[in-house]
Amino acid sequence: MSARATLVGQVRSVLREAVEAHRDDEDTATLLRRQLDRMDEPLRVAISGKVKAGKSTLLNALVGEEIAPTDAGECTRVVTWYRHGHSPRVTVHPREGLPRQLPVSRVDGALRIDLDAAPEAVERVVVDWPTRGLRDTTLIDTPGIASVSHEISASATRFLVPEDEPREADAVIYLMRHLHRTDLRLLESFQDRGVARATPVNTIAVLSRADEVGVGRIDSLMSARRIAQRYRADPRLRKLCQTVVPVAGLIAHTARTLRQDEFTALAGLAAAPRDELDSAMLSVDRFTRTGDGRARLLSRFGLFGVRLATVLIRQGFDDPPRLSAELVRRSGLDELRETLSVLFAERRDLLKARSALLALDTVLRDRKCPDATRLLSSVERVLAEAHEFAELRTIGVLRSGAAEIPPEASAEAERLLGGDGGGTWSRLSLRPDADRETQLRTALEALSRWQRWAESPLSGRAFVGLARVVVRSCEGLVDRLNEDG
Amino acid sequence: MSARTPIEVVELAAKAVNAYQREDLAARLAQTRSRVLDPVVRVLVVGEFKQGKSQLVNAIVNAPVCPVDDDVATAVPVAVRYADAPGVVLVGEDGSHGEVAVEDLADHVSEAGNPGNRRGLRQAEVGIPRSVLAGGLCLVDTPGVGGLGSVHGATTMSALPTADAVVLVSDAAQEYTATELEFLRQAARVCPMVVCVLTKIDLYPDWRRVADRDRAHLASTDVTADLLPVSSVLRLHAVSTADQELNQESGFPALLAHLRERVVDRAAELSRRSVAHDVRAVVHQLTTSMEAELAALRDPDGAQGLLVGLHSAKQRADALRERSSRWQQTLNDGIADLISDVEFDLRDRMRQITREAEAQLDEIDPALVEDQFVDWVRQRVSAAASATFVWTHQRARWLADQVGEHFADEGGEVLPDLHTHDPDTTLGRAVPLKFVESESFGFGKKLLAGVRGGYGGTLMVGMLGTVGGLALLNPISLAAGVLLGGKVVKDERKRLLERRRNDAKTAVRRFLDDVVFQLGKDSRDLLRELQRDLRDHFTACAAELSRSIGESIKSAQSAIESDRGERSKRIQDVRAELNRVSHLAATAGALDEPIGSTR
Repeated sequence: MSARATLVGQVRSVLREAVEAHRDDEDTATLLRRQLDRMDEPLRVAISGKVKAGKSTLLNALVGEEIAPTDAGECTRVVTWYRHGHSPRVTVHPREGLPRQLPVSRVDGALRIDLDAAPEAVERVVVDWPTRGLRDTTLIDTPGIASVSHEISASATRFLVPEDEPREADAVIYLMRHLHRTDLRLLESFQDRGVARATPVNTIAVLSRADEVGVGRIDSLMSARRIAQRYRADPRLRKLCQTVVPVAGLIAHTARTLRQDEFTALAGLAAAPRDELDSAMLSVDRFTRTGDGRARLLSRFGLFGVRLATVLIRQGFDDPPRLSAELVRRSGLDELRETLSVLFAERRDLLKARSALLALDTVLRDRKCPDATRLLSSVERVLAEAHEFAELRTIGVLRSGAAEIPPEASAEAERLLGGDGGGTWSRLSLRPDADRETQLRTALEALSRWQRWAESPLSGRAFVGLARVVVRSCEGLVDRLNEDG
Repeated sequence: MSARTPIEVVELAAKAVNAYQREDLAARLAQTRSRVLDPVVRVLVVGEFKQGKSQLVNAIVNAPVCPVDDDVATAVPVAVRYADAPGVVLVGEDGSHGEVAVEDLADHVSEAGNPGNRRGLRQAEVGIPRSVLAGGLCLVDTPGVGGLGSVHGATTMSALPTADAVVLVSDAAQEYTATELEFLRQAARVCPMVVCVLTKIDLYPDWRRVADRDRAHLASTDVTADLLPVSSVLRLHAVSTADQELNQESGFPALLAHLRERVVDRAAELSRRSVAHDVRAVVHQLTTSMEAELAALRDPDGAQGLLVGLHSAKQRADALRERSSRWQQTLNDGIADLISDVEFDLRDRMRQITREAEAQLDEIDPALVEDQFVDWVRQRVSAAASATFVWTHQRARWLADQVGEHFADEGGEVLPDLHTHDPDTTLGRAVPLKFVESESFGFGKKLLAGVRGGYGGTLMVGMLGTVGGLALLNPISLAAGVLLGGKVVKDERKRLLERRRNDAKTAVRRFLDDVVFQLGKDSRDLLRELQRDLRDHFTACAAELSRSIGESIKSAQSAIESDRGERSKRIQDVRAELNRVSHLAATAGALDEPIGSTR
C-alpha cells in the first residue's frame, strides 16, 4: 500500500507547509495542527438521524456497553463524543470558556451525564472510556433532528450540495425509520445539524428499529431485510449513502450486555407451557401483568426481543453466551459492523486525508494568508492527482445516477473502484480465497473491457471520463497482483 | 303508537301526494325515499404510511379484506360495505365497473400488484355480510402511499367533505407529527366528525404516554375528537379464539360503540330529520290549497279579497323563478366572487411557492437534487391545493346557506297569511347540500392528473435538459484543473451552475403557471356546477310553491262557485283531509325527536 502511504504523506506535508505559513496567526496554526494530529487519531464516525430513531441505543450496541444514556423521551441534547481513554472521564466543552471535567457517575451500569449548563451553551461533551469497542473508532452521538418540520428548509437542502466543507466527523451513520419511497421524509431524515455532511462515499444508512417493522412478529427482521434491500435499490438513496443495513438496535444492545438474571428470567419463560406463554405475550400490557420484573425485561428487550429470545432458547441457544451471540447476529449488528469495517475502517486513511484536505481548503479560503494561492493549488493538486480521490468521486457520480450508464456496467464500475471494499478480491467480485491466477485473469479481462469502452467512439463523453478512471483502477489492480507474484 | 320508520312515513306521504295529483311533490319524495332506502355512512380511514389502516379495517369487520403487508402499501382506496354475499367491484378512473374475486383484491389495490395505480382504478368496492356494516357503514381504506402531505393526501382531503366521518390512524410508536396535526386541523373544518385511533398498543409499552401526548396535541390544536387506543392484532386473535376478555383489551368494543353511536346513529338521525323536513314541507304545500279552500268555503263573501291576495302571491312566486329575484342575485354574485377569490388565493399561494423555490434554488445545485426538489415542489403544491380546497368548500357552504336564507325570506313574503306556523319547515331553509354528495366532485383527482402532466411535461424536461453531460464535470474538471489552472475551471463551473439554476427557476415558474391554470379551471367548473345545482333546486322549490298557490286559487274559486248545501259538506271533507295531512305532519314530526325519546 505504498500509494496510500504517499497520499497520507503528501497531505501531511501540505498541512505542515500551511502551519508554517500561518505561524504568526496562532489560532489558525492551532486549528491546522489539530488537523495534523487528527490524521493519527481513530476514525470519527457520527451517528445521526431523527429524534427517537435509536441513535444512542445503536451507539451502545456498537460499543457493547451502556455508555450513552437512553430514555423514552428525547435525551441526547448535545453532541457527545465517545472515544477511547485509559480512565473514564467526562469533559464539557462550553461554547465560551475553558473545558471542564464532570464527575463520572454510573447508575445501573449506565453512564449518567448531568450537564451543569444549558445545552445551548455547550459545544460538546467528550467521554473518554476504557473500552475495546472505541479503540479504532471514535463515535459521535448527535441530538435528533427535529421531527416537526413542514418542509425541506433551505438549510436542509444545502447539505446535499457537493461543495465539500470541513467536518468534524470522517464518516456518518444515518438512522432512518421505515418510510414509503415517495415519502419526502425519507430524505429529510438525512438532514443534519452540520457535525457531518452526508456524501455517498462516507455514509451508511441504517434502517433502525427493524424489530418494529413487522408489528413485532417473529419474522420481523426478515421483513426489515427485504425493506433495506428495496432502499438500497432506490436511486435517491443511492445518491446519499453507500448502503442500507437493517439493525434492531435495542436487541443488539441488550444482547451484548445480557445479564445472567435476565437470561434466567427468559429461560423460565421459555420453559413455561407454550399456550400460557403465547397468551402472556400477546400484548405489552398482558406481559407486564404476568409477573414482577417483567416491565424491566420489556424495557430491555421489547416485546419482539422477548419473543425472539424465548424461541431461540427453545431452539437450543440455552446458555447466555450462545443466546447473546445469536441475538446479536439476528439483530443485524454483525452485518453493520462488517459494513463499517469494509467501508470505513479499510478506507480510514483515505477518509482522513480527505477530511484534512477539505478543512485546509476552507481555512485557506477564509484566512487569506499571503501563501494561500500557492497552498490552495497544492491542495488541488493532491486532490486531483491521487487516484484514490478520483475513485471516491467517481463512485459519488455513479451513485448520483447523473451519468447515463447501463446498470450492470455501473455496478461493475463501482465494485472495481472499491465501492464494496478495497480488497483486490472484492473489487473483482471474487471470493476472498480466490488464487492469484484467477484474480489476475479477471483483472485483465476487466481492464481490456473497460479500455474498449473508454476508447469506443460510441461512448458518451461522460461515460468515457468515467471509464478512464475505472481503467486506471484496473491497471492498479493488475500492478498490485503482479507485484505480489 | 305513532312511531313509524322513516321509510313508512315517506311512503305515507307519497300516497297522500299522489292522491292530490301533485307529481312535482312526488318526485321530491321519491328522492327522499331512495336516500332512506340506501343509507351510506362513509367513514374514511386515513393516516400515514404503515400505521395499520388496512389492518384496522380488517379488525373492525373481522375479515382479511384489505391486503396487509410489512412493506407494500395500499395504492387504491378500498371501500368496505355491507352485502349479502362477498364480492369485489373495481371502479376505474373512467367509471367502468368490473368484478373480481375477493382473493384477487390484493393484485389490484396493493402497490405490489398495481404499482403506482397503473391499472387506473378509482376505487375498489368490497361487499361482505357483516352485522357491523348493516347500518350502512362504509369504511374506506385510503392509500398510505406517500403519506398525508403528498398528492395522495390532497386527494384524500378532497374526499373528506363527502364523508360522514374521518378516522385518523396513527400508531403508538410516537406522538402526532406536524403533518398529522395539520391534517386533523383541516379535516375538522370540512368533515362533521373526526375520530382518532391509536393503533398497535400491543407492541409499545409506552402507549399510554403517547396517548396522553396526542390528547394534549388535540386539545392544543382545538380539534374536538376522541382518541381511542386499539390493537388490531389482539382483536383478530380475540375473535378467532372467542376470547371476550381479550376483545375488551383490544379496545375494539369501545371503537365500535363509538362508530355506532357517534357516526352511524348520528347519520341515521340526520337522515330521519331530513325525512321529517321533507315530509313536512310537502304537507305544508298540500295544506296551502286546502286552507285556502276552507277559508273560501267559510266566508265566500270575503273570498274575493283572499283571491286577490293569492293572485299577487302567485305573481310573487313566479317572480322567484326570475333571474332578477334576490336569491338568484345572491347566488350569481356569490359564485362570481368566489371564483375570483379562489383564483386569487391560488395565485397567491403559488406565488409564495415560487418565491420559496427560487430562494432554495439559489442555495442548491439543481442538477444534484433534482428529484428531491421536484418532490418538494409537488408536495408544496398539493398542500396549497388542499388548503385552497378546504377554504373553497367552507365559502361555498356558507354561500349555499346564504342563498337558502334569502330564498326562504322571499318565499315567506310570498305567502304572508299562510306562513304562520313552523317557520322552519317552510322553504329550503335547510338547503340539501347536493354539492356535498356529488360524485363528480373530482377536485383532487383532476389536480393529481394536472400535477402528473405538469410534472412529466414541464419540470422534468426543464430540469433534465440542464443535467445532461454536465454531471461528470467534477472528475474531469479536476483533472483538467491541473492543466488549465484551477481558476478557469472554477469560473466555468460557477457559470454552468448559474445557468442550471436559472433554467430550473424558469421551469418551476412555468410549472406553477400550469398548476394555477389547471386548478383554476377545475375550481371554476366545480363552482359553476354548484351554482347550477343550487339554482335548479331553488327553482324547483319556487315552481312547487307557484303550483301550490295555483291550486289554492283553483280550490278557492271552486269554493266560491259552489252552492250552500255543497259547501257545508265540502267544509267537512276539507277538514277531514286537513286532519289527515296534519296527522301525517305529526308522524313526520315524531321522527325529528332525539333518538333517546322514541326508544
